[in-house]
Amino acid sequence: MTTRERCMNLLHYKQVDRVPAVHFGYWGELLVEWAEQGHISMEMAKGAVRDGSPVQAELDKIIGWDCTWHNCVYPKLGLNPAFKREVIETLPDGSQRVLTDKGVIEKFKPGIVSIPSEDDYLLKDRDAFEELFLPKMQYSEDRARSEDITRQYNEKLKYDAPIGLRIGSVLGDIRDITTVMGMSYLMYDEDEELLADIVDAYAEMQYKCVETALKTGLKFDFGHYWEDICFKSGPLLSPGKFDELCAKHYKKRNDLLHEYGIDIISLDCDGVIDKLIPTWIENGVNVLFPIEVGVWGDQFEPSRKLYGEKILGVGGMDKTAFRNDRAAVDREIERMARLVSLGGFIPCPDHRLMPGSKFELVQYYAEEIKKIKV
Amino acid sequence: MELLREISENLQIGKAKIVKSLVEQAVAEGISPESILNEGLLAGMSIVGEKFKNNEIYVPEVLVAARAMNMGSQILKPLLAAEGVKATGKVCIGTVQGDLHDIGKNLVKMMMEGKGLEVVDLGTDVSAETFVQTAIEQDCKVICCSALLTTTMSVMEDVIKAAEAAGIRDKVKIMIGGAPVSEEYCRKIGADCYTVDAASAADAAVAFCAE
Repeated sequence: MTTRERCMNLLHYKQVDRVPAVHFGYWGELLVEWAEQGHISMEMAKGAVRDGSPVQAELDKIIGWDCTWHNCVYPKLGLNPAFKREVIETLPDGSQRVLTDKGVIEKFKPGIVSIPSEDDYLLKDRDAFEELFLPKMQYSEDRARSEDITRQYNEKLKYDAPIGLRIGSVLGDIRDITTVMGMSYLMYDEDEELLADIVDAYAEMQYKCVETALKTGLKFDFGHYWEDICFKSGPLLSPGKFDELCAKHYKKRNDLLHEYGIDIISLDCDGVIDKLIPTWIENGVNVLFPIEVGVWGDQFEPSRKLYGEKILGVGGMDKTAFRNDRAAVDREIERMARLVSLGGFIPCPDHRLMPGSKFELVQYYAEEIKKIKV
Repeated sequence: MELLREISENLQIGKAKIVKSLVEQAVAEGISPESILNEGLLAGMSIVGEKFKNNEIYVPEVLVAARAMNMGSQILKPLLAAEGVKATGKVCIGTVQGDLHDIGKNLVKMMMEGKGLEVVDLGTDVSAETFVQTAIEQDCKVICCSALLTTTMSVMEDVIKAAEAAGIRDKVKIMIGGAPVSEEYCRKIGADCYTVDAASAADAAVAFCAE
């Protein structure tokens, strides 16, 4: 049985010979740590950070992973062309204000590897939307050329892993473009329709990209959204507002996937996601990923109890165990075994492996997770 | 008073321009700035905080309410200063060294200001020494440290050690918060308080300042 078959069988409640060892990827700082500790070369550390790269696949083999949940084909789903990244200002302490490709001004400090601080943003009103952003949110042929999609697909075929089609982000990208603060203000400013207009324009473009990619006739195993619209306490906006803005777009896009025979539709959202699950599941999303147990305290079992077997999961393994000891990893493997026994679930660390993760514990997990009885 | 109730209600739904105009009207009608602040702006923000704590409203509603409060506060600030009205306490806040992500920190700051506290915002990437030095120089009763990343949260312990080294550990409360932080971690490093959300953090800071 191949890894691709194992994954798809698990998500369809079918028999498998063993559980696949699936992971989410690595933070760059961890790979540098591993290189400094002598586990891998610095060259590998630099190359393996990129998802889907041959170097990452090489590292995966050394560790014992079967695949990632990132083996996806990417149409051009973002702003096109992106904003030209430029330094707007260098401050006395050496930090820089930079206009990013998404039209957001972020603050960077030399020597600090961190999620940057959003300082300002361009999309503040309808004029900015229509003049600066709407032209970049239009569908064009270059976003999903058949030859590009096919070339990417053939590259993905080299790995024994399910092949996904990236199908966009209904609100996460808009949040990135407007910042959390900007998105919040847009919800309540005088031009009440503006945020919905932005979401609609962007979603329509992404729908056409997905449609064009599907028309190639290639067999994708799953569709994959990215949202990241939740945090420690739950969603970044009210579930009602989220539903109002996004539900119809999920439905339309997921109906299209169903027409093309794709019945596994996963969605990547960090944070505590419970309150948004109804919108997702009612509109065709059925795989929760990565179910962040360690940092955010998310869980899979309550969703399964609530929604039954129609809800599936990839993730849920507390990656912080890799900073601990073998007993902590064993506890996670035991917990994963219970979730696997529910069916429709693939264990996977609940985010990228972080600095401090011990190489030998990751190897140990990758080996032991395959021994879970199914 | 009807006008103050209107200020509170409009603040709660984020109507910044209306709040500003109502505050101006209240001042013109001779209502004391302290009453406008306490019974109008802070009363409204207090309800926002409670609703946020109870998951009745979300981040966007808090942000627009805070924006409305700021617009009203700008009018009152010089008047309150002229009358010698003081804040209910003073705290300093920042993200710890190496951490540039400040959404959570800003949310806590807004909630604290909504409780009538004076907040010294040290911004992002703040060293342990700066937290402590600011607390000493500005007589802050509380130091609030925020971290988003598991890689930077350990810096919070440095702030506690720096406060001990400076001899102010018994004079200042140290609060911590952020995505990877927990009650367990708070106890482990010897901080005074961890709260699960921004509104609870503001309540805790008010309580510390009242001690």
